[in-house]
Amino acid sequence: MNTVLNYAMPVFYFALVWTYGKAFFADAAWAKQVKTPLLLCTLAFHILYLAMRTVSFRHPPVTTVFEIFTVLAFSVSFTYLIIEMRSHRKETGYFILNIAFFFQLFSTLFIKDTPEVPEILRSMFFGAHVSSALLGYAAITIAGAYGLMYLMLYHEMKTSRFGALYKKLPTLETLERMTFTAVKLAFLLLSVAIIFGFIWLHLAIVHPNYFDPKLVGTIMIWVIYGFLVIAKTRYGWKGRKGMILSIIGFFISIFSLTIINIFFSKFHKFY
Amino acid sequence: MNLLCAGISHHTAPLDVRERLWFSSEEIRQTLPLLKPLGITECVMFSTCNRTELYALTEKSAFPAEEIKKILIAQKSAKGSVQSTDLFTLTAGDAARHLFRVAAGTDSMVLGDVQILAQVKEGFHLATELNLAGFFMNRLFQLAFRTGKRARTETKIGDGAVSISYAAVELAEKIFDDLRTKSALVIGAGETAELTATHLRGKEIGTLMITNRTHGRAQALAEKVQGTAIPFDHWCDALAESDIVISSVEVIHYILHAKDVKALVRKNTHDPLFLIDLGVPRNIDPMIKELENVFLYDLDTLNIMVDENLQHRQAEVPKIDSIISEVLAELTQWYSSLEVNPTITALTQFMESIRQEELSKNINRFDPKDRELVELVTKRMINKIIHAPIVNLRQSQEVSLTERLQKMSVLQKLFGLSTQPKEDANV
Repeated sequence: MNTVLNYAMPVFYFALVWTYGKAFFADAAWAKQVKTPLLLCTLAFHILYLAMRTVSFRHPPVTTVFEIFTVLAFSVSFTYLIIEMRSHRKETGYFILNIAFFFQLFSTLFIKDTPEVPEILRSMFFGAHVSSALLGYAAITIAGAYGLMYLMLYHEMKTSRFGALYKKLPTLETLERMTFTAVKLAFLLLSVAIIFGFIWLHLAIVHPNYFDPKLVGTIMIWVIYGFLVIAKTRYGWKGRKGMILSIIGFFISIFSLTIINIFFSKFHKFY
Repeated sequence: MNLLCAGISHHTAPLDVRERLWFSSEEIRQTLPLLKPLGITECVMFSTCNRTELYALTEKSAFPAEEIKKILIAQKSAKGSVQSTDLFTLTAGDAARHLFRVAAGTDSMVLGDVQILAQVKEGFHLATELNLAGFFMNRLFQLAFRTGKRARTETKIGDGAVSISYAAVELAEKIFDDLRTKSALVIGAGETAELTATHLRGKEIGTLMITNRTHGRAQALAEKVQGTAIPFDHWCDALAESDIVISSVEVIHYILHAKDVKALVRKNTHDPLFLIDLGVPRNIDPMIKELENVFLYDLDTLNIMVDENLQHRQAEVPKIDSIISEVLAELTQWYSSLEVNPTITALTQFMESIRQEELSKNINRFDPKDRELVELVTKRMINKIIHAPIVNLRQSQEVSLTERLQKMSVLQKLFGLSTQPKEDANV
């Protein structure tokens, strides 16, 4: 069942992205009607999948990068559902759910069954670290997606091309506000994740390497988002620069979560 | 009963002719009662800048179209300047279809015009006040209002700006979340500047400043749009506080350069600046477009936008035509149910069915040689019973619709008759 759901999840997400795309670009009436119920359905299956993995392997699926990516796909989609329900704006789903699809695809292709959890990970601080980091990454993803939408709309408006993005996306100010809300949240959650991470690191490892690429990468991301928060709140930063920075932050986060974690980090991989 | 539409519109006459036949509400009040002697039982009239139309219902078989045209022209003392041929006439289903198209905005000069529906409603309410919108007009116009509403909710006929001034405001709405918190500076007090300022006020812009070389004109416009007039020498100061700048003045050189805006943007902590240049020659240096967070649009861009929106609206017309066909079918079906013949047929059949039923039950009680006589006598009795109501009903075609409907309704209720509407009946 785990295997079936593992392969079914990207199919669900692909259907979701396709439906949201049809509603956004082709204005298909059926797609507009179906997309939110399909999102709910996908999330329900995703919960089932995560629950089954937890039961089967007797630990929540947050112990490997690939497990984390499926939880991340879920968190991003779930956060988007809340945004959609609260703001009653359904136009941005295509862009955000696309990212969730790629996260899930990446997870599905490389995920492995990990029945045993090393003792090092059985810590309350590790749980708090992973939970806040996951939520932080979800906020980073949302900020990146809204930042990207802002830049695309900005470009359309600057070049006087009034296409689908101009017609469907919210205003530049709304996209900017949503990006910065997500940025602030990301900074806060990353701060919490780093604090718990350091506590756990000292408890779990005797002589930790503070220059481990994973740690350096995470601090870089934290500095970028911290800088963005200060630039916005203190110096009234507005417009393109902030959006570009939020997208750079997103790509560094993904790079840190994948390439650095898998190939360069010495301590931040446990299998 | 016949429906007639007589009127003048941008399709049939130029503006200088149309304006001669523009009727105020008061003039409509005075004109409508004059139509009664022509045998008009119900009528509705509305007049806008692009059309004056009269919908009349007559019980006579001949349409008094020419007489109506003459009255309209005479009421406006426009005999020399407006010819009878400048007015169009439509009858029956064509008139109803035309009204539905008007209400949906597909007959408007600006395709999808939203104001027309309110003007049609106003005309109808006026006729109701004068007791000239009766049973038929009530139904016809309710269907027209429904058509207009469906056109706006089920299609995109009203989407996108189709005027330069509104396109400018629509663009601003794509940048700013809430215009109520923004400031706009309108440079110029000409027609386009006035329209744009009016649209901005309509969107509840926070602060609206007007400046013009002739300060008096700026003051007049500011008063009209509840704005503030700024002396032309000081408009650069107002620029620093503005989020939106609309410029529409005649100039030889640019009045706003990139270096001015650069300094301004720094001062305003990166707030987006939205500039619309409606001037010919252009008022604003196009190099400003290169600056970050500054959005500049000129007449060419706005014209392209308006053309694209019009094309999109045009693509919605077939959808509206199909809505109109549906509503027209509904009107036709309802109208068919108003005819007396179905009621007469239903009454005759009802009586005949009673006669047949009683005969079949009791015919064996009669001697075979008397049975033919019984058949004849009962038939005569039934015919005599229903003769008076039928004659009365047929005569009611000559009287008012309301009276005829009352009689038909009483008959239908008393005898429990049901009339099936004819599908192919015409209005």
